[in-house]
Amino acid sequence: MKNDYLWDGSGEPDPEIRRLEALLGGLRHSRTAPEFPPEFPKPSARWAGQRPRVEAAWGWLSFGAAAAVAVLAAGGVLWLSRPKPPLIPVAKWNVSRLEGAPRVDAQTIDAAKATGTLVAGQVIETDAGSKAGISSDEIGEIVVDPGSRLRLVANRSGVRHLALERGTIHASIWAPAGEFVVDTPSATAVDMGCVYTLHVDDSGDGELHTAVGWVGFKLGDREAFIPAGAACATRKNRGPSTPYFEDASGAFRVALSQLDQDKINPEERSSALRIVLTTARRRDAFTLWHLLSRVSAAERARVYDRLATLAPPPDGVTREGILQLDRRMLDLWWNEFGLGDVDLWRYWERNWSEQSRKGQ
Amino acid sequence: MASAPGDRVERLTGALDLQTVPDKCVDRKDEQDDAQLVENARRGDRDAFGQLYDRYASMVHGILLARVPFRDVDDLVHDVFLLALPRLHTLRDVARFGGWLAAIARNRANDYHRRGMAEVEVELSDDTLERPSGTPASQTSVDTEAAAVLAAIRTLPETYREILLLRLVEGMTGPEIAARTGLTHGSVRVTLHRGMQQLRAKLAQLPAER
Repeated sequence: MKNDYLWDGSGEPDPEIRRLEALLGGLRHSRTAPEFPPEFPKPSARWAGQRPRVEAAWGWLSFGAAAAVAVLAAGGVLWLSRPKPPLIPVAKWNVSRLEGAPRVDAQTIDAAKATGTLVAGQVIETDAGSKAGISSDEIGEIVVDPGSRLRLVANRSGVRHLALERGTIHASIWAPAGEFVVDTPSATAVDMGCVYTLHVDDSGDGELHTAVGWVGFKLGDREAFIPAGAACATRKNRGPSTPYFEDASGAFRVALSQLDQDKINPEERSSALRIVLTTARRRDAFTLWHLLSRVSAAERARVYDRLATLAPPPDGVTREGILQLDRRMLDLWWNEFGLGDVDLWRYWERNWSEQSRKGQ
Repeated sequence: MASAPGDRVERLTGALDLQTVPDKCVDRKDEQDDAQLVENARRGDRDAFGQLYDRYASMVHGILLARVPFRDVDDLVHDVFLLALPRLHTLRDVARFGGWLAAIARNRANDYHRRGMAEVEVELSDDTLERPSGTPASQTSVDTEAAAVLAAIRTLPETYREILLLRLVEGMTGPEIAARTGLTHGSVRVTLHRGMQQLRAKLAQLPAER
């Protein structure tokens, strides 16, 4: 599209935008590239891959007899030019004792031995008086609260897969979005660049609170996106409930939790839905968006109408499409909220699913 | 926001086939070049990594500026690239370098806040654009106004913040933002226009010296 100065600088310049460009242009990035490390990280025992052997072979060849050089060099060149698997760093999880005596499998991390490591297949467990920290330079940090049991399921490039069987963890993750995944008995939490707290009780139900960034929470096709400041409960065999901002009114939250219950009579349900719709703020549009796929067809029309008032649907999103739960339209509408680009979620979700399938 | 028919078609096309959205919307040549540069960088070619820096430093700078105080942004840009360098081998799809690097930048900003910088909220809302001593008064005045606009942008939702800073501070066009970040044209366009609407409303509330 032409004549859209904001989009691509074409057409009649918008004076306000020109003024802002001039004003803010002084903050623009202007530094030259730093001096990058003189050598890339050398392959070592921590790194999977074959390059060390390649280098060793070269060293041996350079030491070899001249008569064999022609043949060996030709063979060596061919061998070296073959497609090589990338070097995959194996991120290491370090365990530290924060309180009491947490355990990694049978090993106790106590005052005498305050640190340890966690590898795939191992379980870290804290009793009522202990607390642990696990960290990785390449992934992030997790605090494991008392009374928790956390298993490291898989730890390979692109998939950092844990399972919280019970208890509470606080995760601060800087690995690329979608790489850090935590299973619970009732849903899977997928980090999209964030800081969050995840709790699982003894029945397998859970709750997630996001402090920074956002988290995708899913069980099968049922999913929830939880942005900073929001929370979401999960129920075993049912998956994520409807997420909400934690500063929403009490009436809104109570009514929402009623809608998430199976056992509720039609009158109560209708009343709960009315309260949710009438007390929803503009900021709660994201909750109504989730409700669209969690209510009956008749209720969906009511939810749509209220949501459209709070956050008008963008071009390409129709009432009919939303009532049919057209996922593409739902995604387009979500992107209007400014809470994170769902296209990224879909992309990472696909990658993660593929990775999970390959790894299992 | 009013959209041209072409825009709507593009967004709908993207919406109808999410599997191919990024491929349709990212500049193909850039993508291919990036992929080659990433491959070369993976093999230890520092010049290739330097070229990636030249291409992406502005994007990283804008993403960080949306989240951390101005005075720390340049250092953090370097941090992000130094973090990315040894991790290049973990990048599964080399054509997604931009989105991958953007995620590292966002997470580096999260980490900045996480590492005990309690005063950060205050600094962000009252960010001063520090200049060397002897800076003319007129420049100081401009800086004050720029800081006020920056503060207004930072009150917007995260997604708007980032895209607006890439456009207004880093001088990137919408198509460039889409190509660098891996977002769709439709998503960037909508975010730009809606974000600008919200920014105009915020700026209208600022004191009259503007």
